[in-house]
Amino acid sequence: MGMLILIAYRNLVQARRRTLLLSAAIGLVTTLLVLLLSLSQGISDNLVKSATTLSAGHVVVAGFFKPSPSQAIPMVTDAGKVRAVIEKETPNLDYIIARGRGWGKIVGPGGTVQTGLSGVTLVNEPRFVATLQLAEQLEYKEGGEARILGDSTRIGSPGSVILFANQAKRLEVDVGDAVTFITETNDGRTNTIDLTVVAVARDLGMLSSWSVLVNMESLRKVYKLSDDTTGAFWVYVKDIDKADEVMNGLRVSLAQAGFQLMDHDPNPFFFKFETVAGEDWTGQKLDVTIWRDEVSFLVKILDAFDLVTVFISAVLLIIIAIGISNTMFNTVRERTREIGTMRAIGIQRGSVLLLFLLEASLLGLFATTVGAVAGAALSVGIDLAAFPVPIPALKAILLSDTVHMTVRLSTLLMSVVFLTVCTGLAALWPSFRAARMRPIVALGYVS
Amino acid sequence: MPAIVELNNVVKEYPLGKLVVTALHDVSIAITKGEFTAIAGPSGSGKTTILNMIGCMDVPTTGTVKIDGTLTNNLDDHALTTLRLNRIGFIFQSFNLVNVLDVRQNVEFPLLLQGKLSSKDRKLRVEEMVEKVGLTKQMTQRPNELSGGQRQRVAIARALVTNPAIVLADEPTANLDSTTGHAIIELMRDLNANDHTTFIFSTHDPKVMERATRLIMVADGKVV
Repeated sequence: MGMLILIAYRNLVQARRRTLLLSAAIGLVTTLLVLLLSLSQGISDNLVKSATTLSAGHVVVAGFFKPSPSQAIPMVTDAGKVRAVIEKETPNLDYIIARGRGWGKIVGPGGTVQTGLSGVTLVNEPRFVATLQLAEQLEYKEGGEARILGDSTRIGSPGSVILFANQAKRLEVDVGDAVTFITETNDGRTNTIDLTVVAVARDLGMLSSWSVLVNMESLRKVYKLSDDTTGAFWVYVKDIDKADEVMNGLRVSLAQAGFQLMDHDPNPFFFKFETVAGEDWTGQKLDVTIWRDEVSFLVKILDAFDLVTVFISAVLLIIIAIGISNTMFNTVRERTREIGTMRAIGIQRGSVLLLFLLEASLLGLFATTVGAVAGAALSVGIDLAAFPVPIPALKAILLSDTVHMTVRLSTLLMSVVFLTVCTGLAALWPSFRAARMRPIVALGYVS
Repeated sequence: MPAIVELNNVVKEYPLGKLVVTALHDVSIAITKGEFTAIAGPSGSGKTTILNMIGCMDVPTTGTVKIDGTLTNNLDDHALTTLRLNRIGFIFQSFNLVNVLDVRQNVEFPLLLQGKLSSKDRKLRVEEMVEKVGLTKQMTQRPNELSGGQRQRVAIARALVTNPAIVLADEPTANLDSTTGHAIIELMRDLNANDHTTFIFSTHDPKVMERATRLIMVADGKVV
C-alpha cells in the first residue's frame, strides 16, 4: 500500500502541470461550496438569532382563548400555573420569559406601520438588555450621529416602546418622540394608546419589520388583560438542538397537569387564527411549538437557498467529474506500458485499480483541502468586512442587513471528504479500464 | 532431472479481423532447472509468443503449458499473476522500470507485492541484489538518471530478487550497444552459474546465442 501511495504521489508530481490545473478546478469548486455553505449557515444563524430574540424562545408555550366558538384570542390564561409546570418539567432549563402578544398599527409623523406587539416585563427578562443591540442614530435618521441614543432598560416604564431601525425610519421618529398604537381589543372595539420611543434597536432581518417591543403593562391596558394572563411563554434551554425533545416532554406534562392542548401545528401563531376560530370549542387550549415552527415561513427561504446550493454544486461537480475522468483516461493511456510491466511482475488487478483510485483521491484531497482553506478564509474575511446588503429583497433572503457567514469545522471536513470521494468515484471507470488490461496487451505484444 | 518448463503441442492463434493468424504451430519444448537457454530466430518467428506462454502472460489455444509443475491452461488471472510473482522473473527489451521509483524501490517492488519478508529482510535482500548487479552507488537514482546498461542491471536485480524458478528475458541486449550487451549476458550467465537460476531468453544476436548452454531455434512458429 505504501509503495502504491508513493507511485501515485510521484506520478502526480511528475505530471505537475496537469495536476495543478486539475487541482485548481477541483479547489475552486470546493471554495465555492464552502462559501455557499458558510452563507447558508450564516443565514441559519441569523434566523435562529432573530427568531429567538423577536418571535420565540427555543420552545414556545402559547395558546388561544375562545370566549365563543367563532372568536380566537392568542393568549394564555392561568399563566402562573402554566409557568409553574414549565419550570418544574423542563430539563436543562436556562430561563423563561413571558411575552404579551398584540397586533395593530403604529402611527408616527412619517406614516403608519402595521406590526405585531411583543409585551415585555423587564424584571422577568434578565438578558433582555444584553440580547437587544441598539442602533446608532445614523442608522435610522438622515444626518443622524454615530451614537446610540436611548436606553433599552426604560422599556420597564409604562407607555414605552422600542422600535426597530427600519420602523423608526419609516415613521420618522427618534428616541423621545411619541407614537400612537391603534388596535382592535378582544371585545371587538378599537382602542389606542400613546407610547414614547425609549430606544431604537438594530434590525434583525425581515422579522424586525413586523415586531415592536412594548411595556407589558401598557399592553395589558390596551387589551384589558388580567394579571394572570400573558401572550406566550418563551422557554430557553441550555441546548437549542434539544428543543424538539423538550417540546414533546412539555406537551405530556401540561396535559397531565390538566391543560387542554392543541395538536402540534408547525406554524407561527398568526397563521392559526382562522383554523382555531373555525373550531367548535370554547375556553383555553395551549399550543406548544419550537422556535422553528414560529418562523416556518422563513425556514422555507433557507431550504430554497440550500436547494440552490446543492444544484449549483451538483452541476459544477458533474463538469469536474467529466474532467477528472477524461484526464484519468489519458493518464491510463500514457502509462499503459507501466501497467503492463507491473502486471507482468505480479501486481494483481485490484492493486492496479487501487493505484489509480489513490492517484485521483490524493489529487482530490490536496485540491479540496486547499479549496476548503481558501473558502474558509474568504468566508471569514467577508464576515469580518460586514458588507452591507443594498437590495431589500436580498436582505429578506439573507435575514440581515450585512452579509453574515459562519464557517464550521464540520462543514469544511464534510466538503473535503465529500469532494475527495467524488474525485475518486470520477476516476473509477478509467481505473477499472487500467485494471482490466491484460499484461500482454498493455506491454504491446499483441493488440 | 524433471523439466521446469514443459510446452506440449502448443498452438496459439490470434484473431486478426476476420482472419486467424497462427503464431505457434504444435510447439513442444522441455527445459530443465538451471539451463541457460536461448530461443533464437528471425523477427516474427514466434520467440516472444513462446516466452509469453512460459511467462503465464498468455494461454495456448490448444496444447498444455506446465511451469514448475503447475498446469497453467485453466488458471484464472489471479492465479496466473500469483504464479508470475512467485516463480517467474521478467527482463524486458526496453527495461520497463517504474520511472517514478528509484533503483532500490524498483528492486523492492516484487518483494512488497509478495509480502513475505519483513522490512529489515527486504532491505538486506535488495542491497544484496543491487550489489550483485554492481549498482550499489546508484541505489537512490531514478531510471532516467541511469544509462541503458545500468537500467537493464536494475531490471535483472528486480527479476531475481524474489528467487524465481525461471527468469525470462525478451531480447535483453537489443537496446544496448555490443559491449554493454555482452556485459549483461555475462552477468546473467554468472547468476545462472552461481545460483542455478533457469534463464530463458530470446535473441537473434549470434554472439548472444553463443553464450547459451542450449539453443532452441524457431521459425514460422515452429521449433526447428
